[in-house]
Amino acid sequence: MKKMTKISVLILMMAILLMGCGKSDANKADTSLQDIKDKGSLVLGLDDAFPPMGFKNDDQEIVGFDIDVAKEVANRIGVELELTPISWDAKEQELATKHIDCIWNGFTKNADRESKMALSIPYMKNTQVAIVLTDSGINTLEDLAGKTVVLQNASTASDAMDQNEEFKNSLKELIKVDDNVQALMDLKVGGSDAVVMDEVVARYYVEKEQGTYKVLDTTLSEEEYVIGFRKGENALTEEVNKHLKDMAKEGLLAEISEKWVGKDLTIVE
Amino acid sequence: MSPEAILKLLQYMITASAMVGKIFFLTLLFSLPLGLLACFGRMSKWAIIREPVKLYLLIMRGTPLILQLFFFFYFPYYVIGTTLPRFHAAILTCSINYAAYFAEIYRGGIESMPKGQYEAAKVLGFNKSQTFIKIILPQVIKRILPPMGNEFMTLVKDTALVSVIGVAELYQLATDTMSQSASTMPLVMAGAFYLAMNIIVSKGFEFAEKKMSYYR
Amino acid sequence: MSVLSVKNLQKSFDNLRVLKDISLSVTSGEIVSIIGSSGSGKSTLLRCLNRLELIDSGEITVDGDTMVSTENDKVKYAESPVLKQIRMKTGLVFQNFNLFPHYNVLRNITEAPIHVAGISRTEAEAKAYELLDKLGLTDKAESFPYQLSGGQSQRVSIARALALNPKILFFDEPTSALDPELTGEVLKVIRSLKSLNMTMVIVTHEMSFAREISNRMIFMDEGVIVEDTTPEELFNSANERTKAFLGKFHDVIN
Repeated sequence: MKKMTKISVLILMMAILLMGCGKSDANKADTSLQDIKDKGSLVLGLDDAFPPMGFKNDDQEIVGFDIDVAKEVANRIGVELELTPISWDAKEQELATKHIDCIWNGFTKNADRESKMALSIPYMKNTQVAIVLTDSGINTLEDLAGKTVVLQNASTASDAMDQNEEFKNSLKELIKVDDNVQALMDLKVGGSDAVVMDEVVARYYVEKEQGTYKVLDTTLSEEEYVIGFRKGENALTEEVNKHLKDMAKEGLLAEISEKWVGKDLTIVE
Repeated sequence: MSPEAILKLLQYMITASAMVGKIFFLTLLFSLPLGLLACFGRMSKWAIIREPVKLYLLIMRGTPLILQLFFFFYFPYYVIGTTLPRFHAAILTCSINYAAYFAEIYRGGIESMPKGQYEAAKVLGFNKSQTFIKIILPQVIKRILPPMGNEFMTLVKDTALVSVIGVAELYQLATDTMSQSASTMPLVMAGAFYLAMNIIVSKGFEFAEKKMSYYR
Repeated sequence: MSVLSVKNLQKSFDNLRVLKDISLSVTSGEIVSIIGSSGSGKSTLLRCLNRLELIDSGEITVDGDTMVSTENDKVKYAESPVLKQIRMKTGLVFQNFNLFPHYNVLRNITEAPIHVAGISRTEAEAKAYELLDKLGLTDKAESFPYQLSGGQSQRVSIARALALNPKILFFDEPTSALDPELTGEVLKVIRSLKSLNMTMVIVTHEMSFAREISNRMIFMDEGVIVEDTTPEELFNSANERTKAFLGKFHDVIN
């Protein structure tokens, strides 16, 4: 019996390991752009619960800043844009197993992602901020010493915390939940004292529930949003970059940003 | 949330509930017979059949369904270079997972049958399959109705897990709408839908138990 | 004519020898009772005769068909068509009735004739009603086993066995699970079968009944047949083991 358990655990671990390592197609010619054109669609993977970048409206249509931009880019490439809601935890798997062509959903640039994927030029700047209840009396990050902070699991908010060792260590506890709304709920019911999340997203909720939350002035980290493609698919990446630059020149990116975020946060030159 | 938004969401939830129903019925369609097969394998006198089946039952019941969903959707890509469509992968995983539980429930029912029933059937000349189909199975079904009711109700709720491989269903609809509206209302509504579906399931089992109560 | 013939039957469970070289024969129309204390092997013998246990060596022949034989220490059971034929010629009434709880009385009786013997439903039901009438159970045809008394259940199980028109009927302590006041009705039924010339082998503890109904009585002890004789001779036996066993039933006999 014991042996059986061991064997099954081993098999399971092997399987998970296998799931984790993708094939490397380093020697293959880069046909990524042609592939997209051939099949006539660009499949965009997103966590459709990430307002205002990509989310579902009351009519269950996926909308947002990223969606508007992606639609225009696909249009310019000459292909259809196909939106595929995925589990954010599984985004790397979705990309590696070719279920999606790109991750385009407030995807933050970092060193790890840079080494594992082909990334577009940064198109929007974002910061990690802390949100507290308006009447909490907390005004600075220092005020959060000995308090509890909650954030979304597998998000860059948790990376930002790692970069701010000192702040992180000053906390009593760091809680991770499944999504940002759950984090905000946790804050609202007193389960925690602050939420760390993307500024872009934070502004959406502060706007949504007027008077409930406030964003602390000090930011935890500066970061940039990029689009993630499969490693080696540079032709497709370059094509998207080209269209982003064009759209920036035409003022289209700024316009879309105004529409969803209320100001121009785009950084494409 | 505004009343209009709630009303709209209500309509979408009805559609999403149909998806839950689809997963529920398809999973049962495959897992109920597969479970019986696994049950026979588990009770086989040949170790070459019995032991692999035992391993299957152990793995399926011993690992989280959510992990199995990930596994069956993504893993085939690394082996054969392609994967099943999301919905198919979800049905496949739920089916082989639930078949494992059903197998053990069947086995419990079959092994609880008194030996005398087999002997009476044997001396009357019934062959093995007649004995099973005419004598044993009908009595087993009556005995396993309560634990089966448990599993059926759990399945309704477990359909919420398939969203991890991107299959849109009720729970995902609720959490997505929650993100967009920053309101917990969608969750409460989804809860009501799951409850309503399980009320139907439990009523169904109540009816079946009543139907079977003509004998003791 | 011999309906049942057993030669040199041996049966062990693990290392325990339960039946040691049993030989007996039953002729048509005969009623043979097997008595003996519990553990004497009489129930195991009956189970071997009905293939609920497989024997280790020996020979069993039912109505001319050899069920099992032994050559050079190798036990050989007949091919399945022969075994099936033998099955149809024998009936067994269990101590605990073993009725099918999910079928009503009528279906308990007709299920085997229809699906094993291949008789039409109409014919099977007609035969079942005839048997129920004979056994005084006509009004119970639609009842389910849980609605019957022990005596009624045992009578239904006798009807179920008779429905296949067996050549020989075995009873495994048919009244042991019944309250004393209910044994009478079952014994009465068995008596009525005697008048129909049914060949019967009855394992029982009902000494006076056995004495009254049997043509022959077999006393078994520790896996061997101690005596195989008429009731009169058995009850006047000089054998010490027989006397010791019957002594326990002294008050019943007189």
